[in-house]
Amino acid sequence: MPRVTSNNSDDEAQLYCEKSEWQDITPIPQYDGINPIAPIFYTPEYKDATEYFRAIVKADEVSERVLQLTYDIISMNPAHYSAWQYRYRTLVALKHPLDVELELMDAFAIKFLKTYQVWHHRRLLLTALRSSAPSPLSIASKELAFIIRALSTDTKNYHTWSYRQWLLAFFDDEELWEGELPYVERLLETDVRNNSAWHHRYFVVWGRVRAEGEIDVGDVLKREIAYTKDQIALAPNNPSAWNYLRGILEHTKTPFNSLRTFVELYSTQTAPGEEDIVDLDNPKPGPGAQLPCAPALEFLADIHEEMGGEQTKKAIEIWKSLGNEYDTMRKKYWEFRVKEALSV
Amino acid sequence: MAAVEREWKPTPTDGVSTPTSLLQASTEDILKAKYLSVNLNAAAASPSSSSPPFEPPLNKNAHLQYLLRNLRQGFPAHYISQSASQPWLIFWTLQGFCVLGVGLDGQTKKQTVETLLAMQHPNGGFGGGPGQAAHLLPTYAAVCALAIAGQPGAGGGWDQIDRAKIYDFFMSLKQPDGSFLVAHDAEVDVRGIYCLLAVATLLNILTPELVAGTPEFIASCQTYEGGFGNASFPGWALRGSVIDPGIARPPLGEAHGGYTFCGTASWVFLQPYLATVYSLPSQVKPVINVKSLLRWCVQMQGISIELGGFKGRTNKLVDGCYSWWVGGCVGLVEGLMGSGSGSKVDEHADETKADQDGEWDDVDDSLSNRRALQEYVLYAGQHPAGGLIDKPPKSADAYHTLYCLSGLSAAQHRVLPSAQRRATLEAAWKDDPSSEHNALRKEAFLSALSWVEDEGTAKFVGGPSNRVNATHPLFNLTVTHSEGIMGYFYKQTIPSRYAKKAA
Repeated sequence: MPRVTSNNSDDEAQLYCEKSEWQDITPIPQYDGINPIAPIFYTPEYKDATEYFRAIVKADEVSERVLQLTYDIISMNPAHYSAWQYRYRTLVALKHPLDVELELMDAFAIKFLKTYQVWHHRRLLLTALRSSAPSPLSIASKELAFIIRALSTDTKNYHTWSYRQWLLAFFDDEELWEGELPYVERLLETDVRNNSAWHHRYFVVWGRVRAEGEIDVGDVLKREIAYTKDQIALAPNNPSAWNYLRGILEHTKTPFNSLRTFVELYSTQTAPGEEDIVDLDNPKPGPGAQLPCAPALEFLADIHEEMGGEQTKKAIEIWKSLGNEYDTMRKKYWEFRVKEALSV
Repeated sequence: MAAVEREWKPTPTDGVSTPTSLLQASTEDILKAKYLSVNLNAAAASPSSSSPPFEPPLNKNAHLQYLLRNLRQGFPAHYISQSASQPWLIFWTLQGFCVLGVGLDGQTKKQTVETLLAMQHPNGGFGGGPGQAAHLLPTYAAVCALAIAGQPGAGGGWDQIDRAKIYDFFMSLKQPDGSFLVAHDAEVDVRGIYCLLAVATLLNILTPELVAGTPEFIASCQTYEGGFGNASFPGWALRGSVIDPGIARPPLGEAHGGYTFCGTASWVFLQPYLATVYSLPSQVKPVINVKSLLRWCVQMQGISIELGGFKGRTNKLVDGCYSWWVGGCVGLVEGLMGSGSGSKVDEHADETKADQDGEWDDVDDSLSNRRALQEYVLYAGQHPAGGLIDKPPKSADAYHTLYCLSGLSAAQHRVLPSAQRRATLEAAWKDDPSSEHNALRKEAFLSALSWVEDEGTAKFVGGPSNRVNATHPLFNLTVTHSEGIMGYFYKQTIPSRYAKKAA
């Protein structure tokens, strides 16, 4: 278990104004001489601690006791960015071991997963540790494991994912990157609709900047298209998978038309019969598939539009069917697509 | 009263259940039940079957009481989590009043100005509360709240904003990749850049130096889905402290409603800079993919069983606050694509506007489903005890109250760039001899204030009694408040938006 709090567990309930070691400080009330609009009704503990914090900031105090005070404040309000900022500066000024701080913050990060500050604090610590720790890679690798633990409680937590992506790019070591695709695949096996995992996949495969010639983009694209087709076959009405497919085609400037055979399987009313020849390149929709699915229709219309000429008419037909039948909420948008195509 | 027949088809799962689809299905059940119970209650209250189809009222009085309680009595202890966001609590509350069409009395304004000025940092910018470090987000909230409650003169708030120090504070946050930290030792985030650009535009402190490299940064945050993530990674492209434009800066974090609004609005705010500074053919203008941005925004609108609310990310749940962040963003994208009055002939000017569904569609050329979005806010966004919410059965809070109301406003009114309004403002423009950056600042002023309501296109589900005020799609202030503070800081006399009656 990480060490959660430091020196004064005996007098935990005590207010700062009651502590003898804080008697040298004159607390500063939040509002002096004015009657604030829309005030918050603070608990006595929060009011007390933040009054001492304002005094510390004003005096520019750098000391061990600041660490306790800021810890108490962020425990009550993890979004108190000034307390985080002051804590970080104090840690650095006191040359406090930052790996100890990182561990102290583990339980905190899980508890306050949705707060920006808990993740940014770790980012500051990791940034400093990269240049100061004896083996920064092992710290980064431990951190990746910690993030997996955090994400297991909330698989779509935005800041946690963003932080993971930063960490990988910042340390940029093959040893760290190599576990990412298997991790994404595990997550997508549990929930193929987890868009955060799809985005992470994109970051790992296409966002990472590599040296020229390090990988064969053609091979990677082939692998990614095959993987995505399988995921679409499993649950065709999944916008995350279709968006990924569109994204990688656009990124590699691959014509949408190259996937026409596959897309047509998903844009017709009925799934093809069992007796059809198995085409590994174009996996068929699963038995429960609800077809035609709107993302496939949209994709097919984009193919027609891409081809142009006579095919534009087919695109228009599909957009009309989306607006009138398959995706009526976006009728205005589909009408706009028709108008745009006609105006070209 | 008869309710309109509604499509209740659930989101297709293809027979494959996952945590996402299970949560989605239970949310759809809740929303459907809420819709039916609102209609059932209305039918019980007024059993006549001959009346027109029922549409729920906006319970303005209950929401005003909620806002008033927060303003006068304050916030309960669980708002300690917002104690580093106090200017936001004030802004959300005051702007809520403005959207509901309620003005503030002199005493409230005075008290508001005093409270906000206590949060101004001695080194520039505003903090989340008195004695807190300056931060871009509360700086936006404080300046917008001052646009509502302040005025020129002693104690009025406007002259007490230290604009020179805000500018220095902004510059001290600038990063080599064109982004900004939200505060010293804090993170880079598109929300902060939106807040910075909104404040710089309102207060007339924009300079080319301030925003150099910022458009390229914003463009780098657009993801493969079309929306924006929260930042990008500059490391691979950085050569010392210079960005190599040939190397990618991948976005961190997936496309998200809040960041997409902020990224898109930032992009709009940066157009004057792009127009005045990137004039040489040798300069490569950064671009965003407007087509995929539009697609992403409209894809975020939930289907009928989700009552047409907006989601913040692909495969996540609808939430009332995205009525503004994404619903409102559609209007910004329409503006970027050149929609708006004056840029086209008004084809519908002669049509009579009967209150019928078909007619609604005919006169509505917006790209999202405005009717459905209004329905979401009215059916699912209102707490029975006042205040607005994410979705049932959540409780009301200050944040959701404003962004549901602003989203409703964006769905009722079309506020778009008007070539005519721009020409009027330009004709009245007077260069400020004391300003070094007249070309940029004039363009910023004209661009921001040319967004005005497209007259005759407002639509109110539930009838005109549900009308709320239009808000400026870039600032989320009323156009009147935007004009007031900008006119003051740009030293311009702003011509009235209303045609003078013939004498």
